[in-house]
Amino acid sequence: MPLIETYALTKQYPGVTALNALDINVEPGIIGLVGANGAGKSTLIKILLGLLPATRGKARVLDMDVETEGRAIRGLVGYMPEHDCLPPDLSATEFVAHLAEVSGLPRTAARERTAETLRHVGLFEERYREIGGYSTGMKQRVKLAQALVHDPRLIFLDEPTNGLDPAGREEMLDLVRRTGREFGIAVLMSSHLLGEIERVCDSLVVIDAGRLVRQGAVAEFTAGLGSLEVEVEGDAAALAEALTKRGFEARGEGFLAHVGLNGDDPYDAIRDCIVELELGLVRLEQRRQTLEDIFRPDADEAVAERV
Amino acid sequence: MSERAAGSIYDLGYRRYEGRRLGRWDAVLSLYVHGLRAAFGLGRRTRSKVFPIGLAVVAAIPALGYLMAAAFIDIDISDAIRAEDYFSSVFFFPPAALMLFVAAVAPELLGRDLRHATLPLYFSRGLSRQDYALARYASMATALLALTLLPQAVLFLGNALVVDSFGGYFQDEWGQVGPIIGSSLLISLFFAAIGMLISAQSGRRAFATIGVIAPFVFLPIISGVLVGTVENFVGRLGVFLNPFFVIDGFTYWFFDAAPDIGEGHPLNVADFAGGWYFFFALAVTAAGIALLVRHYGRRSL
Repeated sequence: MPLIETYALTKQYPGVTALNALDINVEPGIIGLVGANGAGKSTLIKILLGLLPATRGKARVLDMDVETEGRAIRGLVGYMPEHDCLPPDLSATEFVAHLAEVSGLPRTAARERTAETLRHVGLFEERYREIGGYSTGMKQRVKLAQALVHDPRLIFLDEPTNGLDPAGREEMLDLVRRTGREFGIAVLMSSHLLGEIERVCDSLVVIDAGRLVRQGAVAEFTAGLGSLEVEVEGDAAALAEALTKRGFEARGEGFLAHVGLNGDDPYDAIRDCIVELELGLVRLEQRRQTLEDIFRPDADEAVAERV
Repeated sequence: MSERAAGSIYDLGYRRYEGRRLGRWDAVLSLYVHGLRAAFGLGRRTRSKVFPIGLAVVAAIPALGYLMAAAFIDIDISDAIRAEDYFSSVFFFPPAALMLFVAAVAPELLGRDLRHATLPLYFSRGLSRQDYALARYASMATALLALTLLPQAVLFLGNALVVDSFGGYFQDEWGQVGPIIGSSLLISLFFAAIGMLISAQSGRRAFATIGVIAPFVFLPIISGVLVGTVENFVGRLGVFLNPFFVIDGFTYWFFDAAPDIGEGHPLNVADFAGGWYFFFALAVTAAGIALLVRHYGRRSL
């Protein structure tokens, strides 16, 4: 069963098309929703939650229709908005317990789950203090806790690392990873930072200006695009030349040669060439390409076009 | 399991919630109770309690003073405070306290969620926008009902003391209980509808509070001018612009009594049957609630 499906989902505001005929189909797991600011990430999440009506098209979450079964969906999902959404004069415990009750948990269960959930997100004694005195990192944790407190099957996290310092980002990403892997809750996380998505997510949906750019498993994006880094004692340029003659994609400089992994296995050829050229092999390492490597050239081109 | 037991007792890992999940009604109920507590600043800082509880006391002061006086001095029954007069404009303080209470509490109930952008957290749960608006309205109306019924109960007790036979008073005046509850209920629903609809328009507390007070101050002035100077049917209709006179109108109608006011009083000049005030208050209340619900249904997030 797909976790989220959309068919030609379109959202138009007066003068702006926020989502343009979006077709998405994702399986359970940790899903990254990537796009520049203003690409339509928040709009998509709000439509999936039923907070916004779509202009056209259909969307299904957990195999339920967003338009007609919104209430049932909302009972099974959690939502962490991008913006500030916490009252400063309540304690985290009070606020999260209140929302747990609104989610349908009986009072005592709401209290227990609140204590447990706040501990999971790393808030301990501070949870009895007023939220107004919290750091940004602590507020983000409370926001995550209120999304988790009723034990949903899926949570929507809209830019969960926004406004956090590098250490805070690490911790938040770790929490997201644990939520997906250990707690067994599906996650849809939006971010404009590819690096974050790559480290945490199983699959990826890339949107730009409301259009779907690509979707698929993170592994698919990076597979087949790696290269081998070969360090030799001797002239790496000569090695690259020999490999190029054999039909491989290779370039070398100094002691380092890079060999593409797109075609046939180059390992035997590398070995033979090194023997022929009587070079000493120091290191052979596979370099996995990151998502940034894939998207950056496009992004640069896009910028160049605009200029 | 044994490995876990051997580890830290504090970290049991994430546990799924397998317990009972209540329905929509319970979610609305918990929002309602939370709002009702918040209306009086319960579970909040002391600062949040000052205004609502202070105004509740102000609304009850005449009744409390009367009760104390009745307990210690002989009061002639002809000087007794009648239940129908308590929240009438004749008495002034209690209805003014009610108005200020709405102006202080309604912006708190709705404005907090607007100001701190907590609405998406409610609307992304099993609650609908309409549920939210109605639950908040119910909290406001119930808080007002407490403010109106409490002084009436004290007053009833005071009157029973004024009369020599305590038990006899209860027996004789039992018929007052219906009108007391009826008028208190309608006053609360009427004021809550006006206050909540205005408060929903702005998250800024100061704006919302002034916005609620303004019609209670300016409409009576316009009403007075209309009734006093325009000597025709339209001028007489002006009496409905004064919310305090509307309350007077239906309250005396509930009690089937006449207010102790002079010939020139706008209520007498306008000379409408009490039932008209009742239907007018009912219509304003219904329209206020409908507009409030519609406002939240349309609100963009």
